[in-house]
Amino acid sequence: MENRPLEYDYTVAKMFMVTTIVLGIVGMGIGVFIAFELAFPELNTVFGAGLAEYTNFSRLRPLHTDAVAFGFTLSGIFATWYYVGQRVLKVSMAESKFLMFIGKLQFWLYVIGVAAVVVSLFMGITTSKEYAEFEWPIDIAIVVVWVLWGISIFGLIGIRREKSLYISIWYYIATFLGVAMLYLFNNMEIPTMLATSPAGETGIGAWYHSISMYAGTNDALVQWWYGHNAVAFVFTVPIIAMIYYFLPKESGQAIYSYKLSLLSFWGLMFVYLWAGGHHLLYSTVPDWMQTMGSIFSVILILPSWGSAINMLLTMKGEWQQVAASPLIKFMVLASTFYMFSTLEGPIQAIKSVNAIAHFTDWIVGHVHDGTLGWVGFMIIAALYHMAPRVFKRELYSKSLMAAQFWIQTLGIVLYFTSMWIAGITQGMMWRAHDEFGNLAYSFMDTVDVLHPYYTLRGIGGLLYLIGFLMFAYNIYKTMSARPVEESELQNASPMGA
Amino acid sequence: MSINEFAAYGYFFLIVFLVVVTYSYIYHLYKNRKDSSGVDYENYSNMALKDDISDTPVKPISKREEK
Amino acid sequence: MFHWLEKHPFFFAVGVFVVIAFAGLIEIVPNFAQASRPVIGTKPTTLLEQAGRDVYIKNSCNACHSQLIRPFKAETDRYGHYSLSGEYAYDRPFLWGSKRTGPDLHRVGNYRTTEWHENHMRDPKSVMPSSIMPGYPWLYTNKTDINTAYATQLTNAQFFGVPYNKPIPMKDGSTAVVKMAGSVAEAHKMALEEAKEVVSRMKDQDVKDAVANGDIPEIVALIAYLNSLK
Repeated sequence: MENRPLEYDYTVAKMFMVTTIVLGIVGMGIGVFIAFELAFPELNTVFGAGLAEYTNFSRLRPLHTDAVAFGFTLSGIFATWYYVGQRVLKVSMAESKFLMFIGKLQFWLYVIGVAAVVVSLFMGITTSKEYAEFEWPIDIAIVVVWVLWGISIFGLIGIRREKSLYISIWYYIATFLGVAMLYLFNNMEIPTMLATSPAGETGIGAWYHSISMYAGTNDALVQWWYGHNAVAFVFTVPIIAMIYYFLPKESGQAIYSYKLSLLSFWGLMFVYLWAGGHHLLYSTVPDWMQTMGSIFSVILILPSWGSAINMLLTMKGEWQQVAASPLIKFMVLASTFYMFSTLEGPIQAIKSVNAIAHFTDWIVGHVHDGTLGWVGFMIIAALYHMAPRVFKRELYSKSLMAAQFWIQTLGIVLYFTSMWIAGITQGMMWRAHDEFGNLAYSFMDTVDVLHPYYTLRGIGGLLYLIGFLMFAYNIYKTMSARPVEESELQNASPMGA
Repeated sequence: MSINEFAAYGYFFLIVFLVVVTYSYIYHLYKNRKDSSGVDYENYSNMALKDDISDTPVKPISKREEK
Repeated sequence: MFHWLEKHPFFFAVGVFVVIAFAGLIEIVPNFAQASRPVIGTKPTTLLEQAGRDVYIKNSCNACHSQLIRPFKAETDRYGHYSLSGEYAYDRPFLWGSKRTGPDLHRVGNYRTTEWHENHMRDPKSVMPSSIMPGYPWLYTNKTDINTAYATQLTNAQFFGVPYNKPIPMKDGSTAVVKMAGSVAEAHKMALEEAKEVVSRMKDQDVKDAVANGDIPEIVALIAYLNSLK
């Protein structure tokens, strides 16, 4: 022990890297399958009529969203935290047995939670609230996992050597606090087994069943306050944390303006929470709240672009790196897609645009250019950067990475263009009237017209999935690639042919 | 005061508060190149760039300053 | 102040939290009291309707169908009167949905019949030739979980004061009462009564036999719920 120098300990980071990849494949695989189910409904029974209950679109849809949001993305967040956290605080997990134990405990509880979610959603045990489908026993498990992560964050901060907190740490802290609050409030529910019948019977019915504390419009309000901000604190804030570390580190460039990064952090914190109302435009929530949702959604462009531009300018004078390194390509395209979807979102939040866009596939397209382009690419880039340092080996294949990049980019483009057209077409057809003031199209007409776009979307998704499988293979082969020296790991990641 | 009025006032004052805080923060960042302990803000980027465990921290925690 | 915050992560965290929480509080709380007041004529679900609602949720119907009619001519032409906040006063959870892969269902009870649902749920293409909705044949054999639906009703009444067994004012000035069972055994009896009513307009012999034998297939509950959406 004495003569061995202190090193960062990536045990927990490695564990979460595995779940990131595995759950990514599962979530995206289900996504591709259900995308094709919409284009070709026969696929609903492709595994036999007996299994149709478990393979039809409606059962699988929550499984897809939860697997990518709470499986792939959350694992990615944890994996990068257990990597970045140590490094920018300059303290090793090996220095604290306690934190190491907490990290491992968090991982295993997380795995158990994921298993419970998969089983329960297949069985149709769901509260129906999007991204919060889990019944109360799983909610409690999730809270425990989250608290453990909090202990890990603040524990590591407590024993740090670097006095100031790097900007990424701020974002991780905000993720922790934001999700904690949102999740708790949205999942307030009463287990139905607590009720007593007038005859004195208790514990009636399924023990895991519960109903929401809020009713109707209020429930919707809380749900979309949660739904919107879950997007903020799972798909935006922690991903910014990643790019603020990995892009400067990989490129060897200091952040263009550290001050701007501080400012846009606070801007994002102040503004994001107010924008949730845009999910409920023209619904029965009060008008002032809807208008506020719209206005703040537009203001939200500023802090979002503050971060994105800061990232792009970090590459100033170093653009040859984008051409040279597929890893940098992933990150630059990720921040481009971030700019793109943070512009698209506010546009959709404008009331008159929302009147057409809401309930259509345009929203689905918007979600996916954010998640595939920004979240997916950033997590992939982060794991590529981490792999050589965690395994002490060079990345298996640079050309495979480049191929993956182009295949996935094509997939994303097919995805969002087809969904744009589908969404706007359907939105316009729904509201079209003929010269006598009657509806011009039946609902069925507006579904028939979508078939080619659904097919294209499926193909786009499939390309992305293929790219992700290439990524998984590349990381897998990296474990047995050429060992590298410490000195090769300073900035640009070493890559094999 | 009805709950709606309360919300309206709460909303108004929160906005005013946030605007003041945000602008004073912009001013603060604009005016000061360095933070209170004399580290140039832009040097903090080195927390990511020089993050080996043997690298010197930008601002080590051990030496507790006067403030 | 800012220097100080930069150096104290704990207070930094508190600051972030206060900002976030206050925004949430102002945004959400004031609306609560108002929105939960039911419009006149809104009734809580009966036992079988509640069970059907649970079936609706179990199969994530809300993944493709909204229950929210926006105040546009195109929507009111297509689906009926736009939705009012008070109509949802007893909806726990709300089922507005966020995507209309299929049409809105908030007032589907006004224009679809038991017979239509019976054919449509087994094989949507039999009534809508180019439909992309999958069939739900297992609903015709799975048994309805009446106990959980009853527990849900009880929870609604005991924790949230939903007016079961109490007079509810209707639009025409009269009052209506939605009965809730006093025991599990009575609940089963009541659900079966409701089911017989629905089944009398259905054709599937297996479903009819099941109800005659005291079992309620999920499809019966689901249809009862869909018919109640008006």
